[in-house]
Amino acid sequence: MVIDTLKCVGCSDCVVACQTENNVPIGYCRDWVVEAVNGTYPQLELEIRTERCNHCENSPCVRCCPTGASHIVEGGVVLVTHDECIGCGACIESCPYDARYQHPEGYVDKCTFCLHRVKDGLLPACVSVCPTRCMYFGDLEDPNSEVSKLLKKRDYKTLAPEAGTNPHIFYLI
Amino acid sequence: MKEELFVSGRNLPNIDPQLHVWHWPIPVYLFLGGLSAGILFFAALYVIKNKGKDLPDSYKKALFVPPVALVLGLIALLFDLTHLFYSWRLFTTIRLESPMSWGAWTLLTITPLAFLWAASNIKLLFPQWDWKYDWIKAIFKFWNENLKYIVWLVILLSVILGIYTGILLSAFNARPLWNTSILGPLFLSSALSGGAAVLIFFSNNEEEKKIFVKLSMLLIVIEGFLFTHMFMGFLASNQVQLEAAEMFLGGDYTIHFWIFDVIVGLIIPLVLELIWLRKQNFSLKIVALLLLFGGIMMRFTMVHAGQAARYLY
Repeated sequence: MVIDTLKCVGCSDCVVACQTENNVPIGYCRDWVVEAVNGTYPQLELEIRTERCNHCENSPCVRCCPTGASHIVEGGVVLVTHDECIGCGACIESCPYDARYQHPEGYVDKCTFCLHRVKDGLLPACVSVCPTRCMYFGDLEDPNSEVSKLLKKRDYKTLAPEAGTNPHIFYLI
Repeated sequence: MKEELFVSGRNLPNIDPQLHVWHWPIPVYLFLGGLSAGILFFAALYVIKNKGKDLPDSYKKALFVPPVALVLGLIALLFDLTHLFYSWRLFTTIRLESPMSWGAWTLLTITPLAFLWAASNIKLLFPQWDWKYDWIKAIFKFWNENLKYIVWLVILLSVILGIYTGILLSAFNARPLWNTSILGPLFLSSALSGGAAVLIFFSNNEEEKKIFVKLSMLLIVIEGFLFTHMFMGFLASNQVQLEAAEMFLGGDYTIHFWIFDVIVGLIIPLVLELIWLRKQNFSLKIVALLLLFGGIMMRFTMVHAGQAARYLY
């Protein structure tokens, strides 16, 4: 997934769309919006970005899961099998992005890239509702996909690259 | 300035504003698991060193601690699992990359061994005890005949268990305070120190006490050495680990760490043990209790402070 921080206005539509699509319990969220202010007054810089599970290639959550409930499926999406999860919290502790939470029913839950929609040829809920079209979803391994082209053309960053997780969400800057 | 704010109203329970997914049962479980590992390690060493000679009362009494501690520790652990009824899933897979999987399998093996060993001891403490059923007697006959081999397995498992309680935390690179391999040996030496403390507590033989007091002093020095190395590593590392070290060097956890873990848990017991070695004019039980108190406080500090340390991106 590629997110254009220059287009994101922080409206939180993606958050509400995700909560609705995935029946996320009240008080919880799988994605969220961050406003980051950097610099020294008066040279301040504001960055708005929507965040979620980074579906890391080197996922610490998958590595530390004692039952294999956290796993990577085809396409690099990190998922949690609910009835294999014991709710030990190891994956939550291991995630540098704090992208996971304990669902009120006990298992650990997080963004699935709306795989159920993607399999039907639709875009993830958050991407599909974005009013500024700041989010792009596609196959990074296909050099002709929109996401690959954007990453070739634009400068980008990932979150906490020093954590060594190889995140699969790229922020255009 | 660098300021990051959630503007979509994110307030996940136990995660925002500060991660606190692991509550009091985890440090309690880590302490009891480590304590059991320490006692079983020394008990196994006793059997190897004594070579069939009569074993002291401290050994016989201390062996009743691990089964109780392991069960209480496991109850504490289960208390913190939010999807408890799926916990059997731990035993449908072996995941070599996951320290928790290692721990689950080690506990599954060491807990029955601890129970059998403690039960085989009942007859040593109470000679008139009768097991009544022949099949039970056969089990303990087998156990006693093969104890000299079983203890080697116990040594291996207890070292894995002791190290696991630390490695469990250090495997999480998202938490800079935990993300140091020093935690493995640190928790193992603290586990052995707890084991030595229990044997000192139960011992009524001056010679035996002296051996364990010296061992305990050595373990305290090793712990101090490992803590120093931990801080040296952090202070020479990146920003997030510098901030992790700062939590103990002037930050929120300074008092917890220095007062309870270092002064009460390590320095005072060390000084008292030094005094005791010169003039044995006071009970060592207080020293043993201080060591155990220090052990549990160290785990509380590390588990809580570790969750407060994070990557700021």
